[in-house]
Amino acid sequence: MKMAGMHALHKILMEHAKPKRMSVMPGEFLEIEPDVFAVGVGLNPEDLGQLETDLAELGVKEFPPRDKIFAFLDHGAPAPSAGIAAAHKRWLEFFRARGITVTDGGAGISHLILPERGLVAPGTVIALADSHTPTMGAVGAFAAPVAGGTLSLFALGRCWMDAPQVNLVKIEGRLQRDVFARDVALHINGCLGQHGAQDKAVEFSGSYVRDLSMDMRFTLCNMGTEIGSAASYIQPDSTTLDWVGGRVKKPFKVFDTDPDFAYEETHEFDISRLRPQVAAPHAPDNVKPVEEVEGRHVDQAYLGSCASGRLEDIVVAAEILKGRKVHPNVRFIVTPGSREVLRAATRLGYIEVLHEANAIVTNAGCGACPGLHGGILAPGEVAITCTTRNFEGRMGTGAEIYLASPATVAASAVEGRIASPLRYL
Amino acid sequence: MKVTGTVWKFPQDDISTDQIRRKIYAHLPLTEQAKHCLEGIDPEFAEKVNSGDILVAGKNFGCGSSTSAYASIMKLGIAAVVAESFGRIFFRNSISGGLLVIGCPGILEFLTSGDRIEVDTVVGQIRNLATGQILKSAPFPDVLREMAELGGEKPYLKARLASK
Repeated sequence: MKMAGMHALHKILMEHAKPKRMSVMPGEFLEIEPDVFAVGVGLNPEDLGQLETDLAELGVKEFPPRDKIFAFLDHGAPAPSAGIAAAHKRWLEFFRARGITVTDGGAGISHLILPERGLVAPGTVIALADSHTPTMGAVGAFAAPVAGGTLSLFALGRCWMDAPQVNLVKIEGRLQRDVFARDVALHINGCLGQHGAQDKAVEFSGSYVRDLSMDMRFTLCNMGTEIGSAASYIQPDSTTLDWVGGRVKKPFKVFDTDPDFAYEETHEFDISRLRPQVAAPHAPDNVKPVEEVEGRHVDQAYLGSCASGRLEDIVVAAEILKGRKVHPNVRFIVTPGSREVLRAATRLGYIEVLHEANAIVTNAGCGACPGLHGGILAPGEVAITCTTRNFEGRMGTGAEIYLASPATVAASAVEGRIASPLRYL
Repeated sequence: MKVTGTVWKFPQDDISTDQIRRKIYAHLPLTEQAKHCLEGIDPEFAEKVNSGDILVAGKNFGCGSSTSAYASIMKLGIAAVVAESFGRIFFRNSISGGLLVIGCPGILEFLTSGDRIEVDTVVGQIRNLATGQILKSAPFPDVLREMAELGGEKPYLKARLASK
């Protein structure tokens, strides 16, 4: 009997299965040893107490794959309150005592740092305890949020992952001047909905994706989370290999999808006529053209996050703000996604442009996106942001979040109301 | 496993982990966090709910952030969550942590708040104790079944390490 075609993601999982596997069925769970297991420095000391008790009960003294474990101080860092400071302290002590690498509070977001440091290569498995882990599938890795499994990873260096069904999203065409990859991501999020790829993986392909930079491929893959997917994927090509070339130090293997692989669903988009998009409160799939909400006043504009906190995002905002000022009634906060992004934007003069325009530039990190600090909203306030999601209460109880592209966010910061970026480009 | 309890119904779809437990409470002791459970939807829920009650919800319950929001539900003594469907990460975090979560398409139509139900994970059904009506629940996938039956990831690992 001829075997059914397999997806690259399934081949990556089989390669990392213990014992190694020659085949896998969608839905089947495999015992996987990931190349990277990453966690955030926690926000609660009690959670750590539980973990320590559990590890002691299981008789785990040392973590087996110490050089594969990384801890990120990206949520609420530097600590905005005594409570979070105390939690960070306890967790930092826990990791340091066990020889685990921990980033400092200004290094940035795990999803940016791991690929930047060459720890995410094509064909690798990345297990990170954060919902936006699919972002790193842009490199051609199987990057899935740890969903249950933290204890197994600490105890055994392994966890159970299921081989997901895979949906294909084909994107063709060329964007108009005032439309960006984030608009494409929002549009697809709106069309497919929050359950559009529930429990499945999603692969992005097509002529639009082929011509896309790595920064924007990360943006696209980040959105996979908001349609419920377990992992996002872009087949590595010359753009990928150029990008990882100077970063990845270990040998890696690019896996291909068999030509006869049967995708669960295929969705095709032509984005040639797409206009700038927003996701209105309170759902990331409540998407409409910016025109429909233009003029809505905003109290805060925010650029940052693992969705849209990269160099290209800052460049677009700086180009719009050059020679202009942020509207006096608006806080425009820029949180670079990583120190590498912040340093590049500084070196190239974009941070100076933002300062000139009265923008508030913070340290790199998750910033206000998870609602912990650095731009929490008051009840009744309205924000336009290019953060990951706009659930009710995420950045402050009783506030409204409109998600948009960095260009739309910057144009709105200038006007003090939701504005299309067209006249600034 | 069989659990019997009184239903608290949250008929909304897409209740996120941010709504189950807002991140601003993340650093508080778990018993304090639990007092704010789902407060954006029902400010008095934590006060009204009794230990052993069962939470019933719509589609994609626990979507969003991967925080351990399930711990707030457990701290209130809630015996199980039955939903039309779950957010992937929340579902698995809950099973790992020992909170019983059961996917059950059609559950919103089937029950109203205050109903007494019996959840049977072995047979895979929800029974309305007043009417005797039965609704089939979704089976647990693969290894998660064993984990749920044993009460979480820790007992599962214990059993596994003991068998080696």
